[in-house]
Amino acid sequence: MTAQSSEPVLRARGITKSFGGQAVLKGIDLDAHRGDVVAILGGSGSGKSTFLRCLNLLEMPDAGTIAIGGTAAPLRYDGKGGARVTDARALNALRARTAMVFQNFNLWAHMTVIDNVIAAPVHVHGVPRAAAIDRAHALLDKVGMAGFAGHWPRQLSGGQQQRVAIARALATDPDLMLFDEPTSALDPERVREVLDLIRALADEGRTMLIVTHEMAFARDVSGQVVHVRDGAIESMGPPEAMFGPDASPVFRAFLSPG
Amino acid sequence: MSGDLAFLADTTLAIARAVPVTVGLFAASAVGATLLGGLLVMAQTRRGTRECARLWIFVFRGTPLLLQIFMVYYGLAALGPIRHGPLWAAFREPLFCAFVAMTCCCSAYIAEVCRAALAAIPAGQIEAALASGMGRWTRLRLIVLPQLVRLALPAYGNELVMMIKSTALASTITVMDVTGVAGQVIAHSYRTLDVFCLAAAVYLGLTGALTAALRYVERRLNPVEGTR
Amino acid sequence: MITDDPAPMLLLGFGPDGWGPALLRGAGLTMALALTAMAIGMVLGAGLAAAGASRVRWLRAAAAVYGLVFRGVPELLVVLLLYFGTPGLLAAGAALLGLADPGSPPAFLTGSIAIGLVSAAYQAEVFRGGMLAVPRGQIEAAIAAGMSPATRFRRVIAPQVLHRVLPPLGNIWQFTLKDSALVAVTGLSELMRVSLVAAGSTRQPFAFFAAAMVLYLVLTSASSALFRLAEARGMRWAGGTGGV
Repeated sequence: MTAQSSEPVLRARGITKSFGGQAVLKGIDLDAHRGDVVAILGGSGSGKSTFLRCLNLLEMPDAGTIAIGGTAAPLRYDGKGGARVTDARALNALRARTAMVFQNFNLWAHMTVIDNVIAAPVHVHGVPRAAAIDRAHALLDKVGMAGFAGHWPRQLSGGQQQRVAIARALATDPDLMLFDEPTSALDPERVREVLDLIRALADEGRTMLIVTHEMAFARDVSGQVVHVRDGAIESMGPPEAMFGPDASPVFRAFLSPG
Repeated sequence: MSGDLAFLADTTLAIARAVPVTVGLFAASAVGATLLGGLLVMAQTRRGTRECARLWIFVFRGTPLLLQIFMVYYGLAALGPIRHGPLWAAFREPLFCAFVAMTCCCSAYIAEVCRAALAAIPAGQIEAALASGMGRWTRLRLIVLPQLVRLALPAYGNELVMMIKSTALASTITVMDVTGVAGQVIAHSYRTLDVFCLAAAVYLGLTGALTAALRYVERRLNPVEGTR
Repeated sequence: MITDDPAPMLLLGFGPDGWGPALLRGAGLTMALALTAMAIGMVLGAGLAAAGASRVRWLRAAAAVYGLVFRGVPELLVVLLLYFGTPGLLAAGAALLGLADPGSPPAFLTGSIAIGLVSAAYQAEVFRGGMLAVPRGQIEAAIAAGMSPATRFRRVIAPQVLHRVLPPLGNIWQFTLKDSALVAVTGLSELMRVSLVAAGSTRQPFAFFAAAMVLYLVLTSASSALFRLAEARGMRWAGGTGGV
């Protein structure tokens, strides 16, 4: 079931979240259409990661609505500021249409590389095992990890693990890919190869939201740059505008401290 | 001298005949305690049963097993519902009472081992499972349980070793396990050191075998030694 | 549940028929027994840990064998061994030395030594781990600062080892406290024995065993609270992540 081309893949409205009295997100609205690549930038504590994690409900927002491919997230807010999931199955179905790549890779330590990649297709999407394995090999080849199928995560370097994580994310053919600082935990030499991989995915027309610190990458790869500051969107626009001379002074200050 | 050898031979035989009692009590209690321990862990995730489970764990970890054994064998037997109830035939048997006490006691320790292991599962593993849309049971089956077993195995193995030793307490309520037989021989013959060494050797053999088996399982579950 | 016969409550109380005082005395003896055993275990355990780290091969082997035996053998057997075995041993030893038979040693002594011997095996493991815990660099800094070995031990090594060692020692203490109940089989009137005797004498086993359980719970809870307090004080400077 694919989203209509007019229907945004992601529609988030009024996402608000506090942690123990501290307001972290103050009502963020964001849309993403098919094929959009959105780079989300901001300082530490700006709320950008929290916002991303609200989109697949790893964090429960205190207020707001989220719709993936037109389907609304099954949330209800009770008066006490807490969110309740009204339909666990619908929630899982929603999450099944997204994929997340984590800063710390989060490959399942007790599974080999190939098992990591086929786990969701087989156990969530009901893909027959043999077909999933074939597709997994193709994906591992695509991310440059062919031949590592039988390896264990802890035998791999950070960059290798992240590439497997990307293959794992691609294996479910998601409508929306979420990248939470995918290169922040990598050695500088490894950052390049993962960024190149993400760039290739963008060129293929994947719909992606990328929280990142890599400014040059954001400028070159994204179609939309969003600057989050203090839990709200400070400014957003195409990279030419955001990185150009007419960008918001606050954003320009963020780009070049000191 | 030959009298000594005959005595040792007789004692060894008597002790050997008691080994199945010890092993049987251990095996039954281990299964029971593991199942009950698992239930206790699950009970702690639901609001209604959480306090009951924590109370159970508190009581059975905070009191000596010997006292619990006496409580089951003597204490419960004095209660009307037990004495006249359908299970009386079972509760009259000292071996059954020892089994009940050990199961209840060790379930509390095993529950704590599992709780610690659950908490030790890196949050990222669960998040990745959530993010890929896995439902509760799928997550449990694919991610939580495999990691729980690997994390809990060393401490769980320790609990099993302690259980083998705990079976000796059944001898205080007339169960003729290895310690029961050894105590009987000591009381009659005053050959304390010899009999102690025989009995000790049996227990060391049992715990040694268990430890070796556990190490094998650990190796099978963690095929890659060391990290990068 | 307990019958509504008021007798159990009277029997537990402090009146003329009450076993209350006896139970409390038993609890006191339990504490004394456990403390003695723990102390024995601490001294012996420290020695075993040192032996385990020594360069002398047979010392290391002896320590390893000790640990294997006393961690693998049921505590009850050790209690029985010491209780039934020491009179004969002492008599034989006295005969060898030409002395008069000293008779049987008090049950408190054999009991606390027995539990202490087992406790030592576990404490040795804890001390072994604790000794390895102090980062090499901190010791080097202390040497560079001109501290004498005694000062180094007192100011740098001991506090950090203590902090590392406190939680597992707390665990071992709980086990020692509960193992003290095993000494009941030798007739010593600690809490377990008193409750057993009272149960038999009054034919109210449920009430007395329940009372004993409550008393043990008081002892173990108070102990764990004290240990948590001590650990919390250590956390002041150790923190959770680094900063040591």
